[in-house]
Amino acid sequence: MEFDFSPLLMNWRFLGNGVIVTILLSIVSAVGATMLGGTIGLARAYGPRWVTVPLAFYVDTMRAIPVLVVLIWTYFAFPLVAGITLPHFAAASLALILHIAAYVSEIVRSGVGSVRPGQTRAGLALGMSKAQVVRKIVLPQAIVRVLPAYGSILSITIKDTAIATVIAVPEFMHQSETIASQSLRPMEVFTTAMVIYFLLLFPVTRGVDRIYRRVAHLGRS
Amino acid sequence: MNYDWSVIWDFRSELASGVWTTIQLTFATMAVAIPGGLTIMLLRQSRFRLLSWFGTFFTEFFRNLPLILVIYWVFYILPTLMPNVDFPPFATGLVALALGVSAYNAETFRAGVNSIRKGQTEAAMALGMSRWQVMRKVVLPQAFRRILPMLASTWVSLFKDTSLVSVIAVADLTYTALEIRAKNYRILEMLTAMAVIYWCLGYPQAKFVDWMYRKIGVTE
Amino acid sequence: MNAGDPQGARKGSDKPPIVIYENVVKRFGTFTALNGVSAQVNAGEVVCLIGPSGSGKTTLLRCTNVLETIDGGRIVFEGAPIGSTPNQARAVRQRMGMVFQNFELFPHMTALENVAVGPLTVLGIDKESATRKAQALLDKVGLSTKGSNYPSALSGGQQQRVAIARALAMDPEMMLFDEPTSALDPETVGEVLNVMKKLAEDGMTMVVVTHEMAFAQRVGDWIVVFDHGRIVEQGPPQQIFDAPTEERTRDFLGHLGWTG
Repeated sequence: MEFDFSPLLMNWRFLGNGVIVTILLSIVSAVGATMLGGTIGLARAYGPRWVTVPLAFYVDTMRAIPVLVVLIWTYFAFPLVAGITLPHFAAASLALILHIAAYVSEIVRSGVGSVRPGQTRAGLALGMSKAQVVRKIVLPQAIVRVLPAYGSILSITIKDTAIATVIAVPEFMHQSETIASQSLRPMEVFTTAMVIYFLLLFPVTRGVDRIYRRVAHLGRS
Repeated sequence: MNYDWSVIWDFRSELASGVWTTIQLTFATMAVAIPGGLTIMLLRQSRFRLLSWFGTFFTEFFRNLPLILVIYWVFYILPTLMPNVDFPPFATGLVALALGVSAYNAETFRAGVNSIRKGQTEAAMALGMSRWQVMRKVVLPQAFRRILPMLASTWVSLFKDTSLVSVIAVADLTYTALEIRAKNYRILEMLTAMAVIYWCLGYPQAKFVDWMYRKIGVTE
Repeated sequence: MNAGDPQGARKGSDKPPIVIYENVVKRFGTFTALNGVSAQVNAGEVVCLIGPSGSGKTTLLRCTNVLETIDGGRIVFEGAPIGSTPNQARAVRQRMGMVFQNFELFPHMTALENVAVGPLTVLGIDKESATRKAQALLDKVGLSTKGSNYPSALSGGQQQRVAIARALAMDPEMMLFDEPTSALDPETVGEVLNVMKKLAEDGMTMVVVTHEMAFAQRVGDWIVVFDHGRIVEQGPPQQIFDAPTEERTRDFLGHLGWTG
């Protein structure tokens, strides 16, 4: 059994563009999901019932449906109901943001809830408003406490970008598939793809781990 | 634009069979991945450098890869490794999913075992128990409470991830729904039906996991 | 005060010592916890290890039953040097009982099951005999009716007494105590010290790391004073507590507010 890695070398630019798209899609999705999920998490933790009930439904729905289904529906079905055309990258971003925000909201909600009530009472006793207590006392501690879970959500985000291949987003998985079928050398191409993805993902989880170890004491009350 | 939602009813038996495949795949994968994960975790704790390195490598490698890539990779590597065997796509999907989930389970077991205070292990060792006796009589019974909800959560994720094997033409719910869509062009109807069916199956599972964490989960 | 010992003759010195520590060295990374410690424990003696926190006394205790492996010197138990392989360690541990500061009862077993688990699992004794023995030991430590309780339903003092019974169930040659009363409420300290006193009167060889100076003075036969990984002074309680020869011993006892 001989290996031929030349198709990879010949198409390195094509594959490199795929990596760039993967990174771009990951960043867009992660940032969007964090902002949306953070807002939803806080809304569920502190909001009135008419807000928390529909949000709970949204979060539980995203936990129940595979991300592949959300991607496919967003790209193929959503334009039909909304009457617009959605380019690949935008559809993938929208789907990933909506899906992952649900998980972010869950950890924000539980993180905020894990800070001891005594901390809130201490803040109020100092004369702070509820909003100030949340912003200055509860949220910083909650963020530190959920860092490990957040790191794993970041990791999942990057992995989920690979699924966007099914709606023809030209990210790295898609480019690898193209080269693999063109060159008839799937073994070499996919094995290399595995190594590249590993190199992308491993530092993210390790990095979050390291940051957490530095700041963990700030979240212990 | 007119929608014909009755096509969902027309194809209900195909969709049901897709659901059945999804369910079978989930059960079969977990049946392999629980002992698999336990084995990998024990390898990782082994005193032999080679075995513990392999356990760590396996866990870290498969936890840091997209599952869809693993599926493609297994799809192409299995026929090369065993050229005379004819692998049905279901088996290929099963192997790929089992590899990934075993790695996650190994990590779950490791976290559960590590959560038990060192003093408990020492007290058991001070009585003269062997490492294996310490695990079986003292550590694992206590780690169980932390491990079970995490396994339930992994189960739900696995159930959703089975949708990925549709890319190698395993006739699960996703593949079936997409095939029907290709035949009758009822895009919105079929895709919505697919989402709703997953929702109906996945929502109670997610709620069950929540219940489990509340009931027997350990809070710090 | 200990009865009838002529000055200079240690208790149990007519028999071969149970444990001999020869120049024991233990390092944790760059920190040297034990810096050449030599001492011995005679049969039937109660040896109390005292000294400031971090002085090495707990480390020496943990090296005795190989919960830590030593980096230099050797420890001789019943005439044979202790090896460091897992099987050798297990053999040694079966002959020594250890009681921990945090009791470390197994929370998923009742008190009776905790006491019986050693004979059942390690010695392979049948369930009926092990249970009978466990009940007898619970009687001995004054907890006859608590057998079916889980540790969470017992007070600290009760848990520690169950822990002592659990260690005794293995019929050990000697008992190791790692600050057995440090985690207890003052009211329950007494009940545990009484059990230990009775054990000593019955002739058990004991090595006790403790801050309870009154106990060390009244029940101890030989006191070893630690500081910074070394033995500063060792001798009978009359010497250590009434007429210490070393400045550092006087300092340490002074800091504890010890007035004799």
